[in-house]
Amino acid sequence: MNNRLIKNFSITILLVGLSGYALAANSTKVTVNGMVCSFCAQGIEKRLSKMPEAKAVFVDLKNKVVAVEAKDGMTLDTKLISHEITEAGYDVVKLEASAQSVAEIKANSKAKK
Amino acid sequence: MKMHLKKIALGALVFAAALPALAGPMGFKESYMSMGDFSTNWREGFVNYALTSKDAIGAEALYARSDDKRLVREYTGLTYTRLAKRWNMPEAQANVWLVGGVSALKGNDFAGTRTMLSPGVLLDYETTRVYLAATARLYRATNLNHDYASARAGFSFYEVDYDEVQPWFIVEARRMKGLSDKTEITPMLRLIHNRYFVEVGMSTDKNARLNFMFIF
Repeated sequence: MNNRLIKNFSITILLVGLSGYALAANSTKVTVNGMVCSFCAQGIEKRLSKMPEAKAVFVDLKNKVVAVEAKDGMTLDTKLISHEITEAGYDVVKLEASAQSVAEIKANSKAKK
Repeated sequence: MKMHLKKIALGALVFAAALPALAGPMGFKESYMSMGDFSTNWREGFVNYALTSKDAIGAEALYARSDDKRLVREYTGLTYTRLAKRWNMPEAQANVWLVGGVSALKGNDFAGTRTMLSPGVLLDYETTRVYLAATARLYRATNLNHDYASARAGFSFYEVDYDEVQPWFIVEARRMKGLSDKTEITPMLRLIHNRYFVEVGMSTDKNARLNFMFIF
C-alpha cells in the first residue's frame, strides 16, 4: 500500500516537473546598440519574425532590448539572431537566455515605465 | 563617449554650414523603401531596394520649379545608395550615406534631354529625442548646375514604445542653385511609427510641405 502510494506520488511529481519544463518559455533577450527609432528598428522585428523557430518578437525601444521566443519544442539559434540583427544594421552587445515568454517580458517592460 | 557624440554632432553642423544636396536613405536588407516630398515648387518621388544591409538601388523622379514659376526642371533616373559608415551607440546612431544618380533631365528653357549626374552625401545623428542631418548633392548636366543642400534639426516631444506613434518637431533649411536665391526654411511636425514616417509643414514663404517614407 505504502509502496503504491509512494510510486503514484513519484509519478505525479515527475509529471508536474516535466509539464513545468515544457511550459517554461525558451526566449533570448538581446541588448542592441543603435536602436533609436521604431521606423528604423522595424527591420529587426521583420527579420527575426521570419526565423522559422521564432514564435514572437518584442522590440523594447526604451531599454534597447530585443526579445525572441522560440516555438514550442524548438531552440533558438543565437548566432542566427545576432546575424539577423547585424544585417538589419545594428550592433549586438549582449545575449542572454530567459525563461520568460515574450508576453511576460513585454508586460515587465511596460510595468517598469 | 560624450566627447565622441559632441564631435559627430559638431561635424554634422559644420558640414551643413559648409556645403550646399539630397541623399536617399534606405531600409534594411531585402526591403523596399518609398519616399515622397511634395510642395508647391518641389515634387519628388523615390523608391529603392536594399540589396545588402549597406547597398540599395532605386529610381527617382523630380519636378522642381523656380520661385518666380518661370523655370521648370524635370528628371527621372536611377540611384545607388551606400551606407558608408554607421556608428551604433547605446543611446544614439550616426550615419554617413553616399548616393549617386544618373538621370534624364528636361527643362523649359532648353530643347531635348540632357544627362544629369547627381552624387551626394548625407550625414545624420539621432537619439530617441534629438535629430540632426545635413545633405549635400550635386545636380550637374551640360551647362547646368543645380547643386542642392539641406540641414535639419529637431527633437521629439517624448519617448515612446516601439508600437506607439512618436511626434517630432523638425526644422529644415534647404537651397537649390539656379532655381531659387532664397533658403527655404520649413518647420514640420514629424510622426514616426514602425510602419511609416510622415512630415507635414509650412515654409516661411507659406508653401505647404508633405513628406513621407514607407518601408515594405
